[in-house]
Amino acid sequence: MVLRGAGCRPFRLIAVAVAVLLGSVPLAGCVPVQPLAAAVAHHDDLGTPVGDRPVSEGGHLVMGLSNEPDKLDPTTSTSLYTRYVMTSICEKLYDLDATGGIVPQLATGVPTISPDGLTVTFGVRTGIRFADGTPFDAAAVRTSLQRHLTFKGSARRSEMGPLTAIEAPDAEHVVLHFKQPFAPITAALADRAGMIMSPAALAAAGANFGDHPVCVGPFKFAGRVPQTSIDVVRDPLYYDAGRVHLDAITYRIMPDTVTRAANLRSGDVQVANEISPQDVDALAKDRNLHVLQSGSLGYQGVTINTGNVDGVGKPPKRIDTPLGRDPRVREAFASAIDRQTLVATVFNNWFESACSPIAPQTPYASPASNACPPYDPARSRRLLAEAGVPTPLKVAMQVTNTQDQLRYAQALQASVAEGGFDLRIVPVEYSTLLDVEIRGTFELLQLGWSGRIDPDGNTTRFLGTQASANYGGYSSPELDDLLAQASRSTDTARRAELYGRATQVLQRDNPIVYTFRLRNLTVHSTRLTGIEVYSDGVVRLARAAFVRDQEG
Amino acid sequence: MGRYLFHRLWQSALTLVLASIVVFVGVRALPGDPAIAMVGEEGDEAALAAVRAQLGLDQPLPVQYLKFVGNALTGELGRSTRTGIPVTQMIGATLPVTVQLAVYAMIIAVLAGMAGGVIAAVYRGRWPEWLANGFSLAALSVPTFWLGVLAIVYLAVQLGWFPASGYVSPLRDPLRAVYYLTLPAMILGVAHAAVVQRQTRSSMVDALNSDYVRTARAKGLGRAAVVFRYGLRNSLIVVTTVVGLQLGGLIAGAVVTERIFALPGVGKLTLDSVFTRDYPVLQAVVLVITASYIVINLLVDVLYTVIDPRIRVSGRST
Amino acid sequence: MTTLAVPVDASPARTRGRALRTLLHNPAGVVGAVLLLVVVVGGVLAPLLAPYPPAEVHFTTPFQQPGTVGFAFGTDDLGRDVASRVLYGTRTSLEVGLLSVLLAVAAGVPLGLAAGYWRRLDALVSRLADLMLAFPFLVLAVGLAAINGGGLGNAAIALGIANIPTMIRVVRAETLRLADSDFVLAARSMDAGPWRILGQHILPNALSAIIVQATVIMPAAVLGEAVLSFLGLGIQPPAPSLGIMLSDAQQYLFRTLWPGVFPGIALALICLGFNLFGDALRDALDPKTVSEGR
Repeated sequence: MVLRGAGCRPFRLIAVAVAVLLGSVPLAGCVPVQPLAAAVAHHDDLGTPVGDRPVSEGGHLVMGLSNEPDKLDPTTSTSLYTRYVMTSICEKLYDLDATGGIVPQLATGVPTISPDGLTVTFGVRTGIRFADGTPFDAAAVRTSLQRHLTFKGSARRSEMGPLTAIEAPDAEHVVLHFKQPFAPITAALADRAGMIMSPAALAAAGANFGDHPVCVGPFKFAGRVPQTSIDVVRDPLYYDAGRVHLDAITYRIMPDTVTRAANLRSGDVQVANEISPQDVDALAKDRNLHVLQSGSLGYQGVTINTGNVDGVGKPPKRIDTPLGRDPRVREAFASAIDRQTLVATVFNNWFESACSPIAPQTPYASPASNACPPYDPARSRRLLAEAGVPTPLKVAMQVTNTQDQLRYAQALQASVAEGGFDLRIVPVEYSTLLDVEIRGTFELLQLGWSGRIDPDGNTTRFLGTQASANYGGYSSPELDDLLAQASRSTDTARRAELYGRATQVLQRDNPIVYTFRLRNLTVHSTRLTGIEVYSDGVVRLARAAFVRDQEG
Repeated sequence: MGRYLFHRLWQSALTLVLASIVVFVGVRALPGDPAIAMVGEEGDEAALAAVRAQLGLDQPLPVQYLKFVGNALTGELGRSTRTGIPVTQMIGATLPVTVQLAVYAMIIAVLAGMAGGVIAAVYRGRWPEWLANGFSLAALSVPTFWLGVLAIVYLAVQLGWFPASGYVSPLRDPLRAVYYLTLPAMILGVAHAAVVQRQTRSSMVDALNSDYVRTARAKGLGRAAVVFRYGLRNSLIVVTTVVGLQLGGLIAGAVVTERIFALPGVGKLTLDSVFTRDYPVLQAVVLVITASYIVINLLVDVLYTVIDPRIRVSGRST
Repeated sequence: MTTLAVPVDASPARTRGRALRTLLHNPAGVVGAVLLLVVVVGGVLAPLLAPYPPAEVHFTTPFQQPGTVGFAFGTDDLGRDVASRVLYGTRTSLEVGLLSVLLAVAAGVPLGLAAGYWRRLDALVSRLADLMLAFPFLVLAVGLAAINGGGLGNAAIALGIANIPTMIRVVRAETLRLADSDFVLAARSMDAGPWRILGQHILPNALSAIIVQATVIMPAAVLGEAVLSFLGLGIQPPAPSLGIMLSDAQQYLFRTLWPGVFPGIALALICLGFNLFGDALRDALDPKTVSEGR
């Protein structure tokens, strides 16, 4: 190569730069290793209600919401994020309180249950109105509950249990008749099945109620721009309007965690949900921001296909793979997961390891349900050898292709390699995942569940024989019996004991290997107060307010 | 010229029809049952059957296609299976945003690109050329999303010069609308500015070296006049072509930009509707984008004939 | 479009020889070639040069700074060595780019030749090209990913298809130009069949334009893969690609910037290399042609 004249100079510069770059590599190794942050105990901060403190009246709050809600129709909605908007505009018969207990909201007291458990009666508020002026009464409650039960396409039917009839004997009481006792009904009425819709709006809009929902609430629906935002404004007809301070709330859809964090810091939104554990530490240091956190009621885990061949809900058939047929192999898998380290590395110790579907902060937890088998890769290899399986055992796990899920999956892959498993990650998008789980065309599935107040909502539908969400096709008469007993009993202590025994069965058979539990991380500007987030993770903005300036 | 135009019109119509068939078939080829995607994990068989009947999925394909076309021509594009909102309303709300973003980005791209190209051509061999070319190369070597994220972190969060997200309708407040759209448009336009810059420089260099320009200079015509009268006119042809070709890239770039800056545009709508198997929205959106692309191409070709008389006469492009 | 002056009697080989010499005198071209060399060597020799396997997780040392003992470029969020991943990622990105180019060439060149040579086929092929161009490439990519799952193959196919129309246009333009040239007319007068003419006369002369277009497609494909990975449709984890590394790094920008810097630099080097080299190549082969669109 002959180079002459001015052409040489750039070439020489490049050569020097490359040499410097390469020369600096041996210099690498002059900075010592930075160790992992130690595990820190996390204290729940659910937010403080405004109470009697003086605050500014008025103001427009903007929230960065991580996912778009689906149709704003309590009967058909299946998205967790719809509940965020509904807390502001659509009150329920019952609600969650800060301690995780259930308190009346539109109902007037705890429901009365007949001795045989088949009749449930509760009173409802009087003298209040829906946002469109229609009077609220027991008949309106009945209309809504009837719709939840019978509407074609209702997603609430299974949540209401063996409900046979709904009566409104007078304007202040509602009576529910059941075929069998059903303890979780109160919890169901503290969720979407308990949202009461205006009968006038239902009559006018029918199936399109979700386009413009009308209920009882501190705010009312004002408008929605698809993919972008949902606006709600203060409802002057609300029965407790005196304690509502904001004029309007805008829920702005922001799917990227970095976008939410950036907007919080720049002040373009005042509150955002599902903050990533990677961002929380930096945000916590910002003096203009405050972090709210609580343990989730749900769980994250790996579902193993033990019997789903013909589709979910069909009778389970034998799956002829080592994982599918031999509980020892599944136990090996469960022992090969270093839950503690994974949570420390992937989530910066913000989340917690989990080994059962029962959240430890609920009254239904017990030492049995909190017990976690130790991480033991040697035991995993022994079990695999006992089962006569060649190591490394190749298995494939399907994962939703969102970033947090993929990151955890990669860490999981590295962890179980020690125990003799060669895990292949198969990322799929959400729609495909739904398809796969229903058809049973999977070996392993990384799945999470947002969690319900009542533990029955976190167990029966996923683990009961031929249950509607039992994607793994698991069937255990012993477990079915324990869960059925627990759903019929109204004694919390007895239920806790039963769920503890259920956990032991689960940790023996491992149809779902529970891996970790999220913490609900919400960050808001310090210019606001009164924002609360309970264990269900729903951000409650209805009674929030802008802080009054100290300087008058 | 009339004959040429008629020819192009006919071609465009054909492409549009083919595109609609491809969209229709393609959408249905996607795995994943939209009924399941819509009802989610909490539905049961009855709900699924109801949804399928509602969407008309139980009928033969050609019937579905004809229904689709018939409905589309009357403006009835169905409702989103996910949010229940009429599709025309969704597109009506999102398309203007993307169009504003794309136009703003193109304006920035053309202005910055042509300026850079002229500088590079006029100051050939000296440092302004190196600078202009350097910027272009850099812009072409960095992915849009990376640039966007860095811009948000430094320009919006750290310096606070621009808002980090959001959209204001120009009908409500034109000045703020422009302010909110500036950073996204800059990010989106950067790569295209680079392409325009390179093309402009290239064609200007050709023009400045050509015989008729040298003659004009020899006759005493000033530098600036030469640049503007001859150089730019020539570049306009090239830039027009480039603008036409860039539009496809703008849609792809818009998806990413809209996502990072939380802009309620059509790009994001397209992507989401594929992920959720929202057939009505997906069909309509892809068709609208394809149709706009075809129409814009047609307009560019017409513009071309105005600028370059050779086409008018010969009746053929290139 | 400005016309071209090519000496009628120049053999393709001699033109290329002259081009090579012109190229070597162009400083930008040399810089581009050097960058490409560095990048290609890094990618090809990744298995030898990388200190760790790219998917190896080190749970106890995430987010290490560059220059930490044992990790020259630091580590990412799962403790994986950034240097190793950049090397393998470069390899993957180059693979995707190469596959897309091959697809665009394999489909685009024959179609372009056909369109340029036979008038009746021109209408058909141009319609096909318009159709391909009219579809947003991202929708195509998402659709393919949805049908087949994501991955290197699907990303390459989507990117390849997106670039077929421009390749068709380039080859068609070259064919149209060359079909009227003297040596083709001479061949025809000697009763040479169309295949012979296309294969022996037109294709070799069009090769320069094809190569130049290939150097345009490469950086577009590499950047396209980055976008697909950002949207979750690209290379599947834990295999590294520069796009996946950037999109991962973007998630924890507020924590540390370093894991995103090195893949960004690598990506920039690849694109710069192809752009500089491609420009110089174009100038060397045909200094008077205005290039076809991207």
